[in-house]
Amino acid sequence: MNLENRRLVFILLFVFVGVVFTARLFYMQVIDDKWIERAGEVSKKKITIKPPRGILYDRNGEKIVANKTYYNLMFVEDDIDSLDTLAFANLIGFSVDSVHMRFAEIRKELDRKTRSKKTGNDTVVNDYRSYLPHAFLKELSADEISEIAMDLSDFQGFYEEPMSMRDYPYPYGANIYGYLNEISGPELNADRRFYNVGDFIGRSGLEKYYEYELRGKKGTKVILTSSRGKLVDNFAGGKLDTNAQQGPPLHLGIDIILQAYGEELMKNKLGSVVAIEPSTGEILAMVSAPSYNPNLMVGTRNIRTNYRKLYKDTLKPFYPRPLAAEYPPGSIFKVVNALIGLQEGVITEDASFPCTQSWVGCHNHPPANSVAKAIQFSCNPYFYYEVKKIIQQGKHTSNFKDAAEGLALWEKYMHSFGFGIKPETDIYGLRSGVIPNVAFYNHWYGEFRWAFSTIRSNSIGQGEVKMTPLQMANLAAIVANDGFYYEPHLVKSIGTEGPQDKFLVKKQTMIDAKHFASVKEGMRAAVNEPHGTARRARIKDIVVSGKTGTAQNPHGEDHSVFMAFAPFDNPKIAIAVFVENAGFGGTWAAPIASLMMEKYLTGEIADTLKEKRILEKHFTNINE
Amino acid sequence: MNNYREKTVGWDWFTIIIVSLLLLMGMVNIYSAAFNPDRPFLFDLKTMYGKQLMWIGIGLFMGIVISLIDAEYIRKLTPLAFIAVIILLILVLFTEPINGARSWLGVGPFGVQPSEFSKLTTALMLAYIISQNRGKLISKQSLTMALTLVIATMLLVLIQNDTGTFLVFTAFFFVMYREGITFDPIILFFSNRVLGLRFKHTFVGIHFIPVLFIVIFLSIITLYFTESKHTFSFLPGYDLPGWMLLLFIITLLFGISFFINQRFAAQRSKKKMRSAILIVYIVTVGLVGLISYTYLNVLQSHQKDRIDLWLGKIQDQDGKDYNRNRALAAVGSGGFSGVGYQEALLSSPRSKHVPESETDFIFSVYSEEWGFLGSATLVVLFTTLLIRIIVIAERQKSRFARVYANSVAMIIFYHFGINVGMNIGIIPVIGIPLPFFSYGGSSMMSFLIMILILLKLDSQRKEVLA
Repeated sequence: MNLENRRLVFILLFVFVGVVFTARLFYMQVIDDKWIERAGEVSKKKITIKPPRGILYDRNGEKIVANKTYYNLMFVEDDIDSLDTLAFANLIGFSVDSVHMRFAEIRKELDRKTRSKKTGNDTVVNDYRSYLPHAFLKELSADEISEIAMDLSDFQGFYEEPMSMRDYPYPYGANIYGYLNEISGPELNADRRFYNVGDFIGRSGLEKYYEYELRGKKGTKVILTSSRGKLVDNFAGGKLDTNAQQGPPLHLGIDIILQAYGEELMKNKLGSVVAIEPSTGEILAMVSAPSYNPNLMVGTRNIRTNYRKLYKDTLKPFYPRPLAAEYPPGSIFKVVNALIGLQEGVITEDASFPCTQSWVGCHNHPPANSVAKAIQFSCNPYFYYEVKKIIQQGKHTSNFKDAAEGLALWEKYMHSFGFGIKPETDIYGLRSGVIPNVAFYNHWYGEFRWAFSTIRSNSIGQGEVKMTPLQMANLAAIVANDGFYYEPHLVKSIGTEGPQDKFLVKKQTMIDAKHFASVKEGMRAAVNEPHGTARRARIKDIVVSGKTGTAQNPHGEDHSVFMAFAPFDNPKIAIAVFVENAGFGGTWAAPIASLMMEKYLTGEIADTLKEKRILEKHFTNINE
Repeated sequence: MNNYREKTVGWDWFTIIIVSLLLLMGMVNIYSAAFNPDRPFLFDLKTMYGKQLMWIGIGLFMGIVISLIDAEYIRKLTPLAFIAVIILLILVLFTEPINGARSWLGVGPFGVQPSEFSKLTTALMLAYIISQNRGKLISKQSLTMALTLVIATMLLVLIQNDTGTFLVFTAFFFVMYREGITFDPIILFFSNRVLGLRFKHTFVGIHFIPVLFIVIFLSIITLYFTESKHTFSFLPGYDLPGWMLLLFIITLLFGISFFINQRFAAQRSKKKMRSAILIVYIVTVGLVGLISYTYLNVLQSHQKDRIDLWLGKIQDQDGKDYNRNRALAAVGSGGFSGVGYQEALLSSPRSKHVPESETDFIFSVYSEEWGFLGSATLVVLFTTLLIRIIVIAERQKSRFARVYANSVAMIIFYHFGINVGMNIGIIPVIGIPLPFFSYGGSSMMSFLIMILILLKLDSQRKEVLA
């Protein structure tokens, strides 16, 4: 047995291992890219940077929704070096106990329920990491942080971090803009690629409708991190980084001065004011009363204190009445019925009906011997007769069949005005109003068991028909335009894009332009002639045409309604005012509309007494 | 005195240069792996590199002092050193465990790990015992003595829960193999006296190193299959555990060979072969059973996890496999020429993605920063050093020096093989230092002393020690 040869076993073993190691190293380091990828996964981290939200401007370029910098007081537990709790508590105005409680609270907020794969039991996992930053105090204003910031350097591990939140230079228009709140679970799940826990998202109004535009584009920054997630270096010198892009500004059709004036006029009243530019469909003002100061709903701190208060308010300041409240339109609806009658040829401009008050009451007025006069005097029986001619055209011997066919035709006309249908526009939470149709009454009374006499209240805007104040304003715009309209909308332009295509579509009603003359004359006379119902709507040197309405309210005082446009020859503004429980339309709604129009057209108010009368009137405590 | 000078042939400069290179590379590397930006001064004793430099200094000093002693005296002092370390190994058992292992013996702020030194003293002691035999044959008493001492030391280390060092001790079996030691006296005692067979010698007793590789192969197979479940269509509703299946296959294979032996073997050797097959069968089954049992019932869960992760049976790259996965990613992302000195992305002390990057996983730092070129250079240097030590061993006239030199080679080989092997994912995680690279006083000092004693013995190779 030659033992000398056994040394070869050693040498072969060493060489073998050396070769295996070298080969393996060559494979791992040179050939296989798997580990380079893995190294990237481990050490590279994408940080997303979210831009401040897009700004909103009014039609005159006034900034109406802006951003403001707030500060979070952050800390990293691992970096805190023997915290002097008493001094810290004094600095931030806490008690020592509440400092400890806040630390515990932060930890507890990160509890997460999971189901164990092994046992199937629910367990609580805590995601708190002492080496990651957490917010000790959130959303501190510049004033609040400046009191703390000076001495913050004494407390290692604490630092301030800026954040952007909404700011409203004008405390008006809350129901138009909506508000932002922390994202909810379902919203988060719907778009995980953009949102993170704790982000703010539009909850109503324009903030919700234009969420995608306003939120802007995320920026990314690739950094190299340590095992504890701390920044070590920028990756590749920042080559892969992209900048965050703020969303484009939204240019609104709103005139913030007019909006503010409208909200002031509607103070202590319930109702709506909607003003539209007839030639474009841009909404000039959309007042919901009562409203609230939008600054009350900025940030979680404010929302926590104010949301419940506003939500529980019996007058419902969150309720966007101009677009969501459906009211019987009252007498302003006569205008629509008059136009349909003329178009159908069932009446002429000179049609005359007696003011027999067997069906319905009326007030004393000279004889209504033309359409214009009927509108000027708002004669109720006139329109019963007139609408009966539309509904019962005598095409069938059966009254019932005849009525069904007539109503179907009538419904078509209504839809062409945008009534009873939900338009495609940039207003979130919009409602369609109600135009009762054949199916509606068949459901109610049974097929062929109703005729005009059953549904006649609709002739004068009572009964089953319902409209939103926005639709009422649009009716004024249609009349001003002699039969067409553009979908009422809030945003004129996203950034510099100009008007959106869908708002450039000219919508034609089924009424020919020629039929509007007599209706407009009636509306002009209602304001400007003796015996007109809307004489309080007159403006010095400007011809206003309008139609009053008094919507009967079985629950209390009647609602005061008025729609108008001005100037008569070249309408610049169409408006609808709805004041709940204010009685006759000419008394309250008409003067409010006239003040709004005057403000918009001239920039000032000549009749300060009229203004004072409105400002001092309270309607909000009537039902209480 | 005259005589002494003639016979002193001088130091082996080849080894000195390689070791110096490794020490230099190790120092350069630890300066990067443990870099503290607040204390960039290399000699700052509050940093790891400052301390490491100090350990090197102390190690060299101690080694040189020892090498002043005549080789013959080194041999004579061996039992004393061995006993001293054994006492330390026992003392260490009464300390508080650090990271689950009782291996630190604290002296003020400094601690020593007796287990690191026990490899050195065991190597010396083994050489001492074997060298007492004249001629090639080793007496049964010597064999028993050597085995007892090695296994006793191994067990002491195992009780400390230092599995890595425990494994290193199997290096000594290679050395015994080289010395032609046969376990036949012990095996024959069992086979002939206890079992009543009539073997003159056994293959296993002489060629136990080839057998060791077969055992390792068998172990890996066992570890891989033992926990799995197998379902068969002919055994509906019953999952056959892997170890049962394995035993079944082994039994089948031996059955076939038994049958072949009965049918085809020469009449003369038939009976003998039958006994051999039976014994090997019993031993194999015993081994599989033992490994399965150990794996399933004895191993601590983290050890079992490490084996499973290594075999790829489970994957948990951000959990249990965190350390290994990060180290592999660091090594693999080094590329051909590395990311550059102090530029490591994953293993740098700034990013701390690789835990234990100054000790067990220090190779990942080196490999990430110097790439394949650097890593291959390191492998070549270590392989060259190991072969050189074998060359040194084989030129010794003294059996003491030869056994010692072979032990040194095998110990360094184990450390190098296991440490680099786990850093590149071909061996499960076993925590032992990379010689001359890993941070640690005890290992650095013991390796330096080990090498210096080797060089000293080599310088006196013309003299015939006992």
